[in-house]
Amino acid sequence: MIAIVGAGPAGLSAAVAAAKLGQQVILIDSSPRLGGQYWRHLPSNWGVGRPPYFAKAQELFDEVLSNPLITRFSNAHVWQAEKKAEQFNLYVVRNGVEEIVKAEKVILATGAYDRALPFPGWDLPGVMTAGAAQSMLKSHGVLVGKKFVIAGTGPFLLPVATGLAAAGAEVVGLYEANNPLRWILNLHGLILNPSKIREGIYFLKKLRSLGIKVHYGKEIQSAVSDGVLVDGKKIECDTVAIGSGFVPELSLAGILGAKLKVGADGTVVVDVDQNQQTSIPGLYAAGESTGIGGSSLAVLEGEIAGSTRKGKRLARWRAQVFATGLQRVYPVSNKWQSALTPQTILCRCEEVSLADIHGAIDELGAQDGRSAKLFTRAGMGLCQGRVCGRNVSEIVACHLSRDLTAEERINTAQRPLAAPISLGELGDGLEKNF
Amino acid sequence: MKRPEKSLAFTFNGVRIEAIEGQTIAAALLASEINVLRKTRLKNEPRSIFCGIGICWDCVVTVNGVTNQRSCLIEVVEGMVVSS
Repeated sequence: MIAIVGAGPAGLSAAVAAAKLGQQVILIDSSPRLGGQYWRHLPSNWGVGRPPYFAKAQELFDEVLSNPLITRFSNAHVWQAEKKAEQFNLYVVRNGVEEIVKAEKVILATGAYDRALPFPGWDLPGVMTAGAAQSMLKSHGVLVGKKFVIAGTGPFLLPVATGLAAAGAEVVGLYEANNPLRWILNLHGLILNPSKIREGIYFLKKLRSLGIKVHYGKEIQSAVSDGVLVDGKKIECDTVAIGSGFVPELSLAGILGAKLKVGADGTVVVDVDQNQQTSIPGLYAAGESTGIGGSSLAVLEGEIAGSTRKGKRLARWRAQVFATGLQRVYPVSNKWQSALTPQTILCRCEEVSLADIHGAIDELGAQDGRSAKLFTRAGMGLCQGRVCGRNVSEIVACHLSRDLTAEERINTAQRPLAAPISLGELGDGLEKNF
Repeated sequence: MKRPEKSLAFTFNGVRIEAIEGQTIAAALLASEINVLRKTRLKNEPRSIFCGIGICWDCVVTVNGVTNQRSCLIEVVEGMVVSS
């Protein structure tokens, strides 16, 4: 039995590849719909056709739904995992009931989520991640505002800006912190992946035809209820969509003891070998959790993890060169910290401000993100530090005029539970074993 | 884009809200131009959706008496009682 966690591009392709080899697969996902965060789609009751780029997704959806070797667990959250002897036990909560999935091989395809950098006003309603605006539109047909500013860094902002404008929103500006001319220094990433050049040109044309102005090298200073401040000038809008790259979701990899490593841009990822196997025998990882690289790389990694097929390695290498280019062209420097004021909330769950963190360092002697967390509760709320963990540890290091160590970065990516679970759900015990 | 009919209804803090089948609580509320989903525990500040995908827990509400439910993940069911 192979258990796959996550039904996005990597998880779906892993499931299909494994089932083609005659393996029994359990595909576990927290959403009611297949596709993960990237292949979002409206439910069938909307009766809308699928765009051409959706062909690969549709092919995998059809195969997953029709192949009798693949069992689907949807609305299911893996909250804990262990390896005992040669077997993995995944503790899954589905519809309020806990079940154990037992498997000899586990493939983690847990994806990533937007990295959001704090600034004054980022906690106001109307400020959200680019992924949030995108998911509301693509999965629910809801435009979350009328007049948008899009800001942050990375190519993901392009489909978000053009998608919102095509759906009828006014996009008053896209503020890209970096300059894509940096690709000139990373040309091999593009030359090896001509489809990415075509994609880039497509979006540049689309931005122009939709009348969206892109401002390179610009960052938002602050947000108020009816606009944002850029270079001291107010730009009116009712909604701000932000994103500065992505944070891989590594909770389960960390719980199972897989070796994590720090990428060139400071992002923590799972360390995998040529077959996508982690440092734990039988535990594999594919997709964004092994490094942010987009859906085409995720599909290839999933196929390799599901079938350990060697034939896809060259294609994977080409896509990985592009992924490395992404890190170099769209880095996040510490510059964002200069926008913060003492009152800016850093930990949204526990409402911890920059002044609280500085107080923990200056008055209580906090030396790192962990001790700052213990003094202030930053990162102890419901999201378990997924939003603020990396930001707070970078702020602490900066305040102490030092760099973050790899160990500190890896610590902020780990958490004891992969998903919060109520004591009631635990107390009700196990329904059945798989 | 042609929208399916709003065939479901639930209440949010006592107000009747209509939703399209398959929409999450947060999606239905935002579509009804309700932007503030809750007030924070310590400073009573308004919050809405933030990550939209179940990571940040900013959009939590009480659903049929169960607290701390992520409104961006839970699909609307006819007659649901949602509060914050």
